[in-house]
Amino acid sequence: MIMGKEKFIPIIALMILLIGVSSSVYVYATTIDSEYIDINGQEYTIDQLLFIGAERSFEEFSGVALDDLMIKIGVTDPEKHEYTIIAADSYQKTVSWENMKNGLLTEDGVSIFSDLPKSFRVKDIVKIEVI
Amino acid sequence: MEKMKLFAGILVFGSLWGFSECIIGSTLHNAQLPAGAIMTGLFAVTLMIMSRMLYKQRGMQFGMGIVAGMLRLFSPFGSNLGFFICSAIAIMAEGIIFELIWHRTSLDLKELKPLRMSSGMGVITAYCCYVGGYIVTQVLTPVLSSAGFYIENLIVFIPQMLATGLLAALIGGIIVPTTLSLKKLNLAIKERLYYPATIGVSVLCWFVVIANTIFVSSA
Repeated sequence: MIMGKEKFIPIIALMILLIGVSSSVYVYATTIDSEYIDINGQEYTIDQLLFIGAERSFEEFSGVALDDLMIKIGVTDPEKHEYTIIAADSYQKTVSWENMKNGLLTEDGVSIFSDLPKSFRVKDIVKIEVI
Repeated sequence: MEKMKLFAGILVFGSLWGFSECIIGSTLHNAQLPAGAIMTGLFAVTLMIMSRMLYKQRGMQFGMGIVAGMLRLFSPFGSNLGFFICSAIAIMAEGIIFELIWHRTSLDLKELKPLRMSSGMGVITAYCCYVGGYIVTQVLTPVLSSAGFYIENLIVFIPQMLATGLLAALIGGIIVPTTLSLKKLNLAIKERLYYPATIGVSVLCWFVVIANTIFVSSA
């Protein structure tokens, strides 16, 4: 028996609402709440990172230079790695060393790149993986 | 329907959509509100349904998405051209997704008369447009940028995208029956006023967005 539109549409709509609700519960349960940013296995506060790295600013944004930060915290051969920036809500973006040379970390914990679109702004960063 | 008349319709509805994304969407975003879900559920879906009701033409909403996406690309709240490419891609994708969902719906929309049908279509349309647009832009924006696309970045964020679409779905479930009820008003525009009105409104939308660009970049 083929299900008619009059039954099919409300059922799909209900399934969508269930998916939305269950995903919201999952996201709420798995969101990380941390005051620290884990970089290459070591935890730092934003204030520590602002103190360690050189200042960088472009347009209306200012913060600590991401490339200088990686060098200062001791990443070996930084130009040979890629960097995955991870937010508390699991949003993550992987960027190259060239991008890091145009990137900064603001005091609010947001990554901003002058050479990448807005979707590369990762808010509430909890981890930077060196890969 | 005359091709020119349809083209003017695409231009005016697409411009209104792009205008609302640029001005209202950015204002909502700056106010820390879930701008994407509100803009899709409220403005994008309303304008696409209204245009489908008035013009009864398939393919029109895809054209509207292109016009709105172009306007977003030149929006005032970014200082370089590629800055809002992610939003522009999402808007264009929403137009395509709408066409796919509504492809088999009759042009007179009679089957959507019962509330459960119109509300159900609202939930499906708003959710799929928002989540689909979000996924498309998360794939295409990195591909078009110098960073490149990494599938793992997309996979770990899928639950978040599915969750944020809930608001769009709820708005869509209310807004589609409301918009369809406007059919009773028999909205129509006098023939001699059609082109001046559609072109005038379109020009005004583009003018405000471009003027805002100049104002914001010089401030």
